[in-house]
Amino acid sequence: MFQGLTAQRLLALFGAGWALLSFPLITLWAPEATLLGLPLLPLAVFGLWAALIAVLALLVERAGDA
Amino acid sequence: MLSPALVVGTALAYLAALFALAAWADRRGAAGRSVIANPWVYALSLGAYCTAWTYFGSVGRAASGGLWFLPIYLGPTLAMVLGWVVVRKMLRVARAQRITSIADFIASRHGKSPLLAGAVTLITVVGIVPYIALQLKAVATGVALLTTPPGAAAAPPPAWWQDPTAAVAALLAGFTMVFGTRHLDGAERHEGLVAAVAAESVVKLLAFTAVGVFACWGLFDGPADVFARAAADPALRGLLRLAPEGARFAHESWSGLLLLAGLSVLCLPRQFQLMVVENVDERHLKRAVWAFPAYLLAINLFVLPLALAGLLLGGGAAQADGFVLSLPLAHGQPGLALAAFVGGLSAATGMVVVETIAVSTMVCNDLVVPALLRLRRFAAAPAGWLRGIRRAAIAAVLGLGYAYFRLAGEAHALVSIGLISFAAVAQFAPALLGGLYWKGGTRAGALAGLGAGFALWAWTLLLPSLARSGWWPGADLLQHGPAGLALLRPEQLLGLQGLDGLTHALVWSLGANLALYVGVSLVRRPDAAEVAQALRFVDGAGHPAGGADAAPVFWRGRARPADLQALLARFLGPARAQAALDQHARERGLPGAAALPGDARLVQFAETQLAGAIGSATARVVVARSVEEEALGLDDVLRIVDEASQLRQYAQALEHAGAELRAANERLQELDRLKDDFMSSVTHELRTPLTSIRALSELMRDDPGLAPAQRQQFLAIIVAEAERLGRLVDQVLDMAKIEAGQADWRSAAVDLPALLQRAAQTTAELLHGRGATLVLELPDTAAGPVPPVLADEDRLLQVLLNLLSNAAKFVPAGRGRVVLALACGPEGATVTVQDNGPGVPPAQQALVFEKFRQGGDAAHRPAGTGLGLPISRQIVEHFGGRLWLRSDPGQGATFGFTLPWPTAPAAAPAAQDQTGDPP
Repeated sequence: MFQGLTAQRLLALFGAGWALLSFPLITLWAPEATLLGLPLLPLAVFGLWAALIAVLALLVERAGDA
Repeated sequence: MLSPALVVGTALAYLAALFALAAWADRRGAAGRSVIANPWVYALSLGAYCTAWTYFGSVGRAASGGLWFLPIYLGPTLAMVLGWVVVRKMLRVARAQRITSIADFIASRHGKSPLLAGAVTLITVVGIVPYIALQLKAVATGVALLTTPPGAAAAPPPAWWQDPTAAVAALLAGFTMVFGTRHLDGAERHEGLVAAVAAESVVKLLAFTAVGVFACWGLFDGPADVFARAAADPALRGLLRLAPEGARFAHESWSGLLLLAGLSVLCLPRQFQLMVVENVDERHLKRAVWAFPAYLLAINLFVLPLALAGLLLGGGAAQADGFVLSLPLAHGQPGLALAAFVGGLSAATGMVVVETIAVSTMVCNDLVVPALLRLRRFAAAPAGWLRGIRRAAIAAVLGLGYAYFRLAGEAHALVSIGLISFAAVAQFAPALLGGLYWKGGTRAGALAGLGAGFALWAWTLLLPSLARSGWWPGADLLQHGPAGLALLRPEQLLGLQGLDGLTHALVWSLGANLALYVGVSLVRRPDAAEVAQALRFVDGAGHPAGGADAAPVFWRGRARPADLQALLARFLGPARAQAALDQHARERGLPGAAALPGDARLVQFAETQLAGAIGSATARVVVARSVEEEALGLDDVLRIVDEASQLRQYAQALEHAGAELRAANERLQELDRLKDDFMSSVTHELRTPLTSIRALSELMRDDPGLAPAQRQQFLAIIVAEAERLGRLVDQVLDMAKIEAGQADWRSAAVDLPALLQRAAQTTAELLHGRGATLVLELPDTAAGPVPPVLADEDRLLQVLLNLLSNAAKFVPAGRGRVVLALACGPEGATVTVQDNGPGVPPAQQALVFEKFRQGGDAAHRPAGTGLGLPISRQIVEHFGGRLWLRSDPGQGATFGFTLPWPTAPAAAPAAQDQTGDPP
């Protein structure tokens, strides 16, 4: 179903993304704190989101066409 | 405020620009310079996911729920992580089968069922038309916001013929008709439409970002300032958290939204249209799977700051949907407000145009055409009708949308439709994704799942929304259930509690859908048509587009090519039918359409062509009518698959054999080239001494008065050259013999220390003449005598002499030092010859063992034939050893070889002396 290294990496990334962006791990960022004047929670969610996209880009752009 | 004329004029000018852009892109496409054949344009076109509902509504959602607007975008991001695998498979299947809508995809997968196609279409219409209405409402609200003086009551909506929203809807219908029905064949790309949608994605991103920047830096001291003030305000502090003060984080709702949005991005008809149907090249997907999520991230960056800014400046959460427009307008930036309106307009129009084309294609192919096929007038000449039907469907969809917008007005049923729509199309997910990966799904299973999912969606989500709008007489119904049956309360079905309405509806509808899809599918074995399509969808998509020839064809019966051509001509027009059949004939290596046999492949080709124009389910029906079919049994289908896979195996075996043959041929050519090289080298080496012999002889013949001393010198050179010639010939013969395996080998016990001493004595003179010293290092005899090795003594001596004379040639004059050493190890006896010459550069180390490759540069190359080392290596290898070279430049060179001990050293008695192998 998901044969090939790229497909399995993407599956793993999907799992990691889902885990990081939903309960319970997302509550790690609940404490009220600020970083560079910005509140931690929105910063963390957008940061994780951007990191997910960056890894995704790296994986698919390097993948062959097969 | 702005004047209505300015706002409406801007909107119309924007739409005119959109027309111009689409027309330009269509012309470019026709000229073969497509603008949409670009991965960035493809990725941007997917931005149609962000509608006016998100453009305005996200800020509203953030103003009341903080980060809760985000799952709508995080879900698609997660879905796109798997997009390269899942969507690519959808692309390949859709291309191979000319599938043009999600209804067609699901119906085609489950045995090309017209009933299923109709069901999916109906669900789409019910779920999506209100969503289109919502876009129109956003436009109307935008106009009203910009043109109503502050504080004034909202004017009553104008009559529809004076309503600018009606004009926008009509223009969009025109746009969709012009650019969405240019080709009848839905499988062909709509260049202009996709280019326009991609451009709209840019416009809305720029406009929204501009307002965000203005709010953060124009009205505050940057985002940190906005957040700091919000954190200081007890009313707003909760928006920076996952849940308001004292409340728990409703994580099941969060996960439910992630799942819903992730499924919707695959199942929304407009996303399917842009992602699958309009895709030009599957490699574009590789860029889009990350660029589209990146777009979503970018457009959401300023949502929360904007919402907080609006609230901090005194706006109420109820007006937050309008912050994008009202903030710049209220703070002296009417131009920016107008730009923001254009951004919202682009979000609305992009969605409306693509959704309309997708829905109207489904309505036309899966509802209208199947119904009309009963009409004799239609069946006689459908091609002329098809375009009209498409256009009528477009007008109907947009008309319905506008009517719903006028009817619903401010009602809850309209405002909340975004997620309700998502939940409706998410019902396609089990049949769509399950059908792509599970062969067991059947028509009955898909129908049962969709039916149950849709019914539960309507009961648990749509009905409460209608009731809240006051359209349903029973607010009672929500409280007490139908006829007082509390178990059937729409929002606590069977008493399920503790979930918000959307999550509750998702659990029931998607759960029942999935359970029935799987459960009913498992009740009976899939029939032949279902298995055939399941195989094509699940297994048949392994390779990009290709492999169509090897794909099994599931059809048996009799067909007349003329009938099929007439059928194609009726639906596609005579010219296109002829062109398609000619193309098909060429692909099969036939001269023209007339030569095509009425076989299964032709029938399948005709059916696929028709599927592009009228959908696969309808195409199946009309093809079945014009040919004589024999019903295929399940066994037949499996047999055909078997044969096809055998055929594929044969093809693979053939390809493999071909590859081996090619490799052998290349090897032969290489050997041939090596032989030629060898011949030319030998000839060259022979010619050099011959030339000097001849030149000197001629000199002596032509000049009788040559001084005797001179003559003597010449003669000495001639003799030396003749000797060299002789040596060369001997060595070439030797080499040839060894290589041909005809050399005269003896094998006897050889006393290596004695042999080394002989070699040292023989070369002592030569080395001494060059002022070099020879050091002989033999193992200590105290440890016992060196055991003999099995070899040919003369040949080994030849190797040693060759290595020693080589060393003599390269050592520096006067202070040369050559070490001839013998060492005994567990594996064998190792002989090394080490010199203190210049060494061999790494690049040449492998070359010195090749024939006629001499060490050193051409200018300082010492005399030699260039065959010594190759012969030596052959000899050593014959006795089971390996001749090697170790050299660091400037550190001298060490040649050496190890001869293995005889397998049983004791069993090599002297009595075996002279026992030579036969030649």
